[in-house]
Parts: sequence; C-alpha cells; structure tokens
Amino acid sequence: MPPPNTPEGGVTAPTSPPASPTPSQPTSPLTRSEIAELSLPKSSILELDYQSIEYIGPVDETLLCPICRTPFHSPITTPCGHTFCAGCINRALELQSVCPIDRQPINKTRDYCRLPLIVKDQLDRLKVKCPNKGCDHECLREHLEGHYGRRCEFTPVRCPESSCTKYIARRDAKAENGCLHQEFTCRFCEKVLTWEECDDHYDYSCNGATARCEECGKQVMRHRLGKHLSQDCPEAEARCKWHAAGCKVADKRRVVQEHEHSGCTFEVISRLIDQRAEDREMINDLTGRLARLEAASSRRRRPRERREPHNESSLINGSPLNLLSTEATGASNLTRNDDMSPSSGFADDDGAWASPEDYMLAQFERIEGQLEGIRKKMMEMDAHQSLGLLQTTARVNEQLAELGSKVGVLNMHTTWLMNMQRQSHTQQRTASTSTGPPSAGISHAGDTSTTRAVSSETGVRYQAGSRRSSSDGRGEHPPRL
Amino acid sequence: MSTQFAAKRLSKELSKISSSLPPGIELVSADNFEEWLLDIRVLDNNPLYQNQTYRLKFRFGSSYPIEPPEVVFVKLPDRPIPMHPHIYSNGIICLDLLGQQGWSPVQNVESVCMSLQSMLTGNSKNERPPGDEEFVRGNRLRPKDIEFYYHDNDV
Repeated sequence: MPPPNTPEGGVTAPTSPPASPTPSQPTSPLTRSEIAELSLPKSSILELDYQSIEYIGPVDETLLCPICRTPFHSPITTPCGHTFCAGCINRALELQSVCPIDRQPINKTRDYCRLPLIVKDQLDRLKVKCPNKGCDHECLREHLEGHYGRRCEFTPVRCPESSCTKYIARRDAKAENGCLHQEFTCRFCEKVLTWEECDDHYDYSCNGATARCEECGKQVMRHRLGKHLSQDCPEAEARCKWHAAGCKVADKRRVVQEHEHSGCTFEVISRLIDQRAEDREMINDLTGRLARLEAASSRRRRPRERREPHNESSLINGSPLNLLSTEATGASNLTRNDDMSPSSGFADDDGAWASPEDYMLAQFERIEGQLEGIRKKMMEMDAHQSLGLLQTTARVNEQLAELGSKVGVLNMHTTWLMNMQRQSHTQQRTASTSTGPPSAGISHAGDTSTTRAVSSETGVRYQAGSRRSSSDGRGEHPPRL
Repeated sequence: MSTQFAAKRLSKELSKISSSLPPGIELVSADNFEEWLLDIRVLDNNPLYQNQTYRLKFRFGSSYPIEPPEVVFVKLPDRPIPMHPHIYSNGIICLDLLGQQGWSPVQNVESVCMSLQSMLTGNSKNERPPGDEEFVRGNRLRPKDIEFYYHDNDV
C-alpha cells in the first residue's frame, strides 16, 4: 500500500477512469453532423474559421465560449445551463463526459439543447472583419459567411492544379495561372519561395542585394529600381503629369514637379478631357442600359401580342375601316379598340416599346383617353337629360297655363251669370213689393239654390259674393265680362 | 488543426494576461505557444512563503485547453521550490486540477496560478510529500504521466 500522494513510479496501477453515468455516444445525429462540420472541408474553399475572426469593438464577456475564449460559434447549452461552442464542447467531452464548468455528467445524445434565438441574434449582430489577408471588408457576423463563401476575392480556395492540395486566394485561382505553389528561388536573396508568396516577399521581406540608382545615387531594392526610376527618382527624366493633354515640359523629375506645382496651363485641359471621358463613359453606360431595356421590353411585349392577336392584326393594317369592322364584331371590344388605337399607333411606328417607361407612359395615355371619352359621354348624357326634362316640363307648363286661362273664363262666365240672376231677382222684388211678402220667401229659396250651384268653385263664389256686394250700389246694370 | 486551436486560445490568454494580472502573479516570458514562465508570490503573511517568489513553468500540449498543461516549479538561484506537502522538491506539483480528471478546459493559466497561490496560502505544514527523496531520485516520467493518488483533501 503506497502512502497517500505518492506517485506510482512505473504506472503500475492506472486508476480506472470513472464510469460515466451516461455513456457518451458519438453517434447522435446532432453531434455527428457537428463533428462532420468541424472536421471535413466541405467544398473547395477553406472553411471559415470562427476562432480567427477579428471582432470590431468590445464583445460582451458573456458571449465568449469559456473553452476557446472567442464569441460562440453554433453554441450549444448543456442541461446544467452552460453554453459552449459546439466544436469546443465536443472536443472536451471526448476526454470526459462532464460539463467543463460544474462537472455535471452530460450525455451528448440526449442532453444538448439549442441556444435561445435571442442569443443567436446577439452573436449575429457582432461586427467582424473578414479574416482573409488582404481583405478589409467589415460586416455583421451573420453576413460574414456569405461574404467569405461567395464574394471575397481573398478567400482561400483549392489550388486549380488538381495534384496540389493547397489553397490559394480566389482571385489568383485561375486555370491559366496554374499552380502558384511551385517553388522557385528569389533572384535577389536566394530564398526559396512559392509564386503565391512572391509579391509579399518582394515588397516586405526580401533582403536581397540593393542596387544603386545611377541618377540620384540612392540605394534601392533591386527589384524596385524600375519603379523608382519611373516614379520616384528626382533626377530621372520625367514628363509633365499633364503631357497627355499636350504639355511639352520634360526634364528631370524635380524640375518637372516644380513646374507642376507652379501651375501647368494644361491642367485645366486635362481636367476637361477627364470630364469628357467620364461623360462618355456615362453615355456608354446609359446606351447599354437602354439597349438592355429595349431588349427586355420587346421580350415582354411578345406575350402581349399573343394575348391580343385580333387587336394587333387590325392595328397593324392600320386602316380605320378595319377598326370599324372590329368595332362591329362585338360591343364589348368596341370601347377597347377605340381606346387602344391612339397609343398603339405609336407602337406601329417602331414595332416595340423603347422601354418599360414608354410602355407605362402609353398605358397611362390610353387610360387618360378612356377617361376623356367617359367624361364626354357623361356631358352628352347630362345635356340630353336636361333637354328632355325641359321639353317635358314645357308641355306641362303650357297645359297648366291653358287650364288657368280656362278657369279664368269659367270664372267670368259664372260671375256674369250670377249677376244676371241677381238682377232678375231685384227686378222680381221690385215687382212683388205690391204682391206681398210670400214672394220674398220664394226669392230667398232661389238665392240659396244659386249659391249651392256655384259652391263647387269656392274661390269663384266669394268673388261672386264680393261682386254682388260691390255691384249693389250700381243697381241693375248687367255685369261686364 | 488542434495545434491551431491551442495557439489561438493561448494568444487570447496572452493578450489578456499582458494587459492585466491579479496581484502576486507576473508573466516572465511567453515567446511561443509551447512554454511560458510565470512568477508567483504569496500575498498574505504565511511565514513559510514570506518574501519569496517562485517560478512556474507551463508547457502546453497541442490539445490544450482540452488537456491540462504541464505545470512545475522551477528551481533557480533566487527562485526556490516552495515547501508544501504536495510539491516535490524537483518542482513537480501534485494537484488534481492539473491531472486529467481534475482539469477542465475552462481553466486557464491565470486560474491555475491563482489556485497554486491559494494552495500555498492555505498550507501551514513545512514539509515535503512522503517519499519525496525516493521519488525525486527515481522519477524519469513527465508529470502528466505520473499517477498521483489524491487522498487527502485537507491541504
């Protein structure tokens, strides 16, 4: 029995690993897919490595995986509530089937649960830089996959040479470039490098022999000499920046630079030329777009022609007679044909709409024409209606006037008759003063009967009454008509 | 791939350690992602460790942090091996945290240093583990290959 804490020198009795209460099964669907995701390069591009992404701005500590210390990538939460990257926790569980934080047993098959979407959103909104060297793209993390996988020119893709297993930036992976992983020796420093590294090497790390510029005596990297002479060397021959615009100044670079700084007259011209070039480019661009639109609209127009073959045929013939005949064919088509004709006249001229805008404009005009037609018809109808009304009412008015006059005539007749009767009464009364009162009784009865006779026209009776009273004074004169 | 994993995690830790470390812990060197050196001191007045600084050597395998780093005390003229019933005189530390079973990938260099600090702080026995001399003489194994018995949990 060895004393406590004594190392077993020869590892004679390895302690058996503690039996995990829930034996791990690396064959769960979830885990298997995640393991596959981690270990297999799925496509021809190098898998995006979330651990080497640079994040912009501070990242909340709570969003960091406790194992890899980077913001979670496809996080997974254990039943004890701790969250890890799927890759990290899987790796940790290969060794021990317990939660790395509180050592609670974990069964990979059963116990994993996905993270709440809100945390996923938080992760998606982190701002990141593209991990590719040379690319300075910045975006939200959820968009990085798309940028990296499809758009970034610097994403490492499989070398176009089938025998080569290395990766190369997407922009350089062209079949005509061949394999850029072949090695060669640097001309200047004898270092062995691949074509892929070539640019970097020349620009930064080549410590090959320097060369002395013959013009200015400066030491420059040999492979930079050409560039130095053509761009930097103050003693080398140079032409004015605006020589393309016609400036003839050509001298040593420093002289030329002085000339440029003091104001070359050709600068303005050069600007104008540039402006013109820009304009031309724009014009070309617009022409191209127009052509594309024309093509597109003619394609779009074809189905329309098929849809209204009968309209088109009449329109293509273009004769108004045809139009009329079509109008005669059906009442429903009548208005349509009518309205189509002004706009489709334009279509006849060049066979196709110049652009969707033109097409829309024509449609608009057509609708406007239709509206105009409707308005005219409304007006017409309105006029017709009021005329008809006028005619009917005029007749009624006439009749009314006629009736009125007839009533007047009747009135007069009645008055005249009543007066006549009254006169005859007074004559009788004067005649019967000698005969006695019984005759007065008779006259009274006669008077009431007369009143009853005219009672059908009340107004007339009153008139008659008033006439009677006024005519009392006039005595026995007969009434005037 | 796993080497990269370790390197990435270590570079994260390094950038954190370089900016701030708890009192009594100092980074001595971290030139690569295989071996780091740190100094630790015990902060309270424990007479066993007063006014002394100890040098720790971390060695990281390619599967760090899934697997524990190898942590030992290093003896230098001004850096003794602390006296502790779980620390052998050759610097090998018997701590369950550093074994396969006790290790957890959420641990890191800083947390290991702090654990060791507290392990020393809490100790009052001025002694080496039993069988120290024999072990130091006979052991040719790397610390991770040694099977320790973690019997007593009181120190």
